[in-house]
Amino acid sequence: MAGSGARRRLTPGSVLAGLLLGLALILVPAALLARPVAAATTVRVLMPSPFVDATAALVAGFNRDHPKLKVEVARGPLDTEAMSDLAIGGLLLGDSGYDLLLMDVSWTAKYVAAGWLLPLEGLLGDDALEAMVPGARVGNAFGGHLWRMPLTGDTGLLYWRTDLMAAPPRSTQELEAVARRLQAEGKVRWGYVWQGRQYEGLSCVMLEMIHAFGGQWWQAGSGRAGGHTELDSPGAIAAADWLLHLVRTGVSPEAVADFAENEALQLFAAGDAAFLRNWPYAWREIEKGGGPVVGKVGVSTVVSAAGISSGGTLGTWGLSLLAGSPHPQAAAEVIRWFTGPETQKALVLDQGYAPTWAALYADPELQQKHPLLAVQRQALEQGPLVRPLTPLYAQLSDLLQRQVNGLITSEGSAAAAMGRAQTQSAVLLESAAGQEHP
Amino acid sequence: MIESMPTAPSPGTGLRIEGLSRRLGQRTLLAELNLQVGPGECLALLGPSGCGKTTTLRLLAGLDAASAGRILLDGRDITQQSAGERRVAMVFQSYALYPHLSVADNLALGLRIRGMPSKEREGRIAAVLELLQLTELRQRRPAQLSGGQRQRVALARALLRQPRLVLLDEPMSNLDGQLREELRPELRRLLCGGEQPVVYVTHDQQEAMGMADRIAVLRDGALQQVGSARELYERPANRFVAAFLGRPAINLLPASGPRQLGLRPEHLQPVRQGGIAARLQRREWWGNQQLLWLETAQGDLRMLVAADQSLPEQLQLGWRPEHELWFDSHSGERLAAL
Amino acid sequence: MKEQRLNSSWVNSLLMLPALVLLAIVFAWPLLDSAWLSTQASSVLTGLTPLANGGANWQRLLGDARFWQDAAVTLRFAGVSVALELVLGLAMALLLHQPSRGRGWLRALTLLPWALPTTVLALGWRWIYNDPYGPLNAILRACGAAPFGFLTTPASTWLFTVLADVWKTTPFVALLLLAGLQSIPAELEESLVLEGASPGQILRRLTLPLLKPWISLALLFRLAQALGVFDLVQVLTRGGPAGSTESLALYAYLNAMRFLDFGYSATLVIATFLLLVLLTALGWLLLRRRALEPSR
Repeated sequence: MAGSGARRRLTPGSVLAGLLLGLALILVPAALLARPVAAATTVRVLMPSPFVDATAALVAGFNRDHPKLKVEVARGPLDTEAMSDLAIGGLLLGDSGYDLLLMDVSWTAKYVAAGWLLPLEGLLGDDALEAMVPGARVGNAFGGHLWRMPLTGDTGLLYWRTDLMAAPPRSTQELEAVARRLQAEGKVRWGYVWQGRQYEGLSCVMLEMIHAFGGQWWQAGSGRAGGHTELDSPGAIAAADWLLHLVRTGVSPEAVADFAENEALQLFAAGDAAFLRNWPYAWREIEKGGGPVVGKVGVSTVVSAAGISSGGTLGTWGLSLLAGSPHPQAAAEVIRWFTGPETQKALVLDQGYAPTWAALYADPELQQKHPLLAVQRQALEQGPLVRPLTPLYAQLSDLLQRQVNGLITSEGSAAAAMGRAQTQSAVLLESAAGQEHP
Repeated sequence: MIESMPTAPSPGTGLRIEGLSRRLGQRTLLAELNLQVGPGECLALLGPSGCGKTTTLRLLAGLDAASAGRILLDGRDITQQSAGERRVAMVFQSYALYPHLSVADNLALGLRIRGMPSKEREGRIAAVLELLQLTELRQRRPAQLSGGQRQRVALARALLRQPRLVLLDEPMSNLDGQLREELRPELRRLLCGGEQPVVYVTHDQQEAMGMADRIAVLRDGALQQVGSARELYERPANRFVAAFLGRPAINLLPASGPRQLGLRPEHLQPVRQGGIAARLQRREWWGNQQLLWLETAQGDLRMLVAADQSLPEQLQLGWRPEHELWFDSHSGERLAAL
Repeated sequence: MKEQRLNSSWVNSLLMLPALVLLAIVFAWPLLDSAWLSTQASSVLTGLTPLANGGANWQRLLGDARFWQDAAVTLRFAGVSVALELVLGLAMALLLHQPSRGRGWLRALTLLPWALPTTVLALGWRWIYNDPYGPLNAILRACGAAPFGFLTTPASTWLFTVLADVWKTTPFVALLLLAGLQSIPAELEESLVLEGASPGQILRRLTLPLLKPWISLALLFRLAQALGVFDLVQVLTRGGPAGSTESLALYAYLNAMRFLDFGYSATLVIATFLLLVLLTALGWLLLRRRALEPSR
């Protein structure tokens, strides 16, 4: 596949040659340009820049301990989508120049379908994920192969104010009631802030909400696309309707329609909201920020409608082996070390990352130093939600974002918006079913 | 605007400039200029670049504001009037023809702005085109005209305005030498001798002498002398005027005490005895005359003699006493003959 | 004389050859490649292998409501922002053309928005428009007004995206027109002043007609750029809310880089390119015809 692929991958690359060239010129770090000539095998890893900073000391330590195996980390952009652009840009040109790529969980199926990844079970063993918490094990395999080793166990979480309530709400109804009460009392200007911008974050919120109201986005099945969507189910419509309701009744500001993670975080950290939906990283950001809510923030699992048990969206990062790697064995060794319990423990202690190994959640030292761990364990054991595992996920996510963002920024009903999302999804998946595989 | 433009110019008393000055910051571009130009008179402003002649012209046009002084045109003080109100025509060195308009439209634009009815406008344009023999070129764009044709269009535009005052800023400097000489009489015929005074800026003394009734010589913003070409040549007010007018330039002998002698090259002549001993250095033969470069104890001198006069290598130089021009060696002012 | 001219034009063509070859490599080849790819299915579903699909991409394009919506969004964006930029750019150029103290600094300063990268500016605008913490909302709050969601509804987002673009590119137009103004000799204006023309008459009768080639140049440049608008919307709005600010370039980008549907992305690229060629050719023809008309 790789051999004959070199020519044909050049072709789509040329479509965006200018774009990619520009991106590459800006983003490819100097480290890559100045590769040292070394006798040792060098495994090159591309990661988003926060991970590069977080792991710099660990990588230096690894390189000290392994004279025959060098890990070289290339700094990618901070933004997830920009990171994806850079990686895809390299992959399209045939040789990305990297062995390993730190991947968002939502990319897996697409990358596999594009033929860019190598399966890992042969290198790491069939039981590679066995000792991980259940929630971290999902989203790594597709089509019967293991494609990714998770490094973090991120899920969507609910942030709440310990100074305004004794305990976090346990249902959507309770959250709304508490929020309204606090708003009425003038304690906070807004009740609940989340990610409503037209981007991937809104899909993550929607996935949680659809399940919180008893529906599901994706039903896995047979066929090219690997399943079908259920976006016009009563649960899915109720989910969209609740978000619309939050905005219309002023529990959430109209501005959520343009909120990504950071905008929502900013408003919550400024003490202007009672609740925030975000990822684990927000905890450290709030604590570091030194704002008015430091020390007054609690973290809990996301809420669902009364009587329904649901979880947060899985947003893990993991390492995948790229198809062009000249030394997959060495690369697999680096994966094992990078995602292994020791590295993860250091990352929990230094950076507050959520680990994926069950044993780390049971570690008393970590539990004591990292208060979020208990909640994260709960979130991962509660069955976190995986975004539809299909190569067409990006399209499905895009069209859902447009409909839901349109719902909260324009006229129209939740049922109509979700109906359109369902129709469009069906058309997309149907067109996929018609395509022949070479 | 129509009212301010009577169809026939009223009899005027000419232009009067009183104490006109222009300063920019610390620099004085023009200092206390006093001048008078009669109706129909053509006055040339002559001087090297930066002497203030163009400044004067722009002040008269109203394009720049005076720092002090008054400008009186036909007895009216126009100093505070805007350029548009003055009814002054100006021919620019570059002619300033509108490149996007045809010859006819170039002429028409000013009249349109003044709101002249189209019938009258067309009549006047036709007349002036005829006068300047431009009728055939009326549809051409400026880029399609020769330098001389462009100048004629610029003149036509100036005449069309029926101005109370005509200003010309080096109107010939973009033309070649022969054309310049040919055009001088035509320019005089068209512009001078009417009702309106004409002020003509040039750095070319020959042009000034050929065109103007009187010449005002300026230097560093200060008026040096006004008078006819002959007055300026024969009785220059100072060393600068003496040196600026006349080609080849006047010989200025080394100062002896408070006085300095100037002798024009054409006034030197070989003499049998007496005079200054000179040795011939170089000879420029000009066809009708020859210019001789001579080395003397008084320094190098230039002498202009007839083309066919043959002279030895060593000779004695003399001159007639009435041709001596004496200057105060310090101030440069000309001293009365001894 | 004539022969010499012919010769020199022949030499000119020869000297231009390397540039033309470079242009062909840089522009023509990717374009031809895209044109070919637009007749192929090439996506995750084909494992990125191009497979001829008999014009299915083009058929899909014709029936793709999102393409037509994005085309309308792009055209409206380009039309309005370029029109505003020309008017404001002209005003700015006229202002900068006035002799004044510190004009050099002022000129350098006005160029700043254009000199900065669009992505940086777009991030800046995101912060300025931020609801509720951006400076604009701080001003509104200080005036006692409620915060305004600049990027919250489709209508206002569109407007403020246009304004961000206008802010960034007006200096470019102004610079171009300023160069044009400086190419107009001062005597032409002075000659009109002597005729008693008002500033408005000078602008209409002299400045605008003489600026026409510069205005055309600015218009064509900006139109081509604005029709390909990508980075501003990508950073400022991501095409939202609800796709209301999605440009054709952004849609093509999404198809390639997010959906990995290169066949359809190439179709969009070619369609956008054709649209661009059509519009700039139209604009050029119109401007050219006008320029040839005798001015009255």
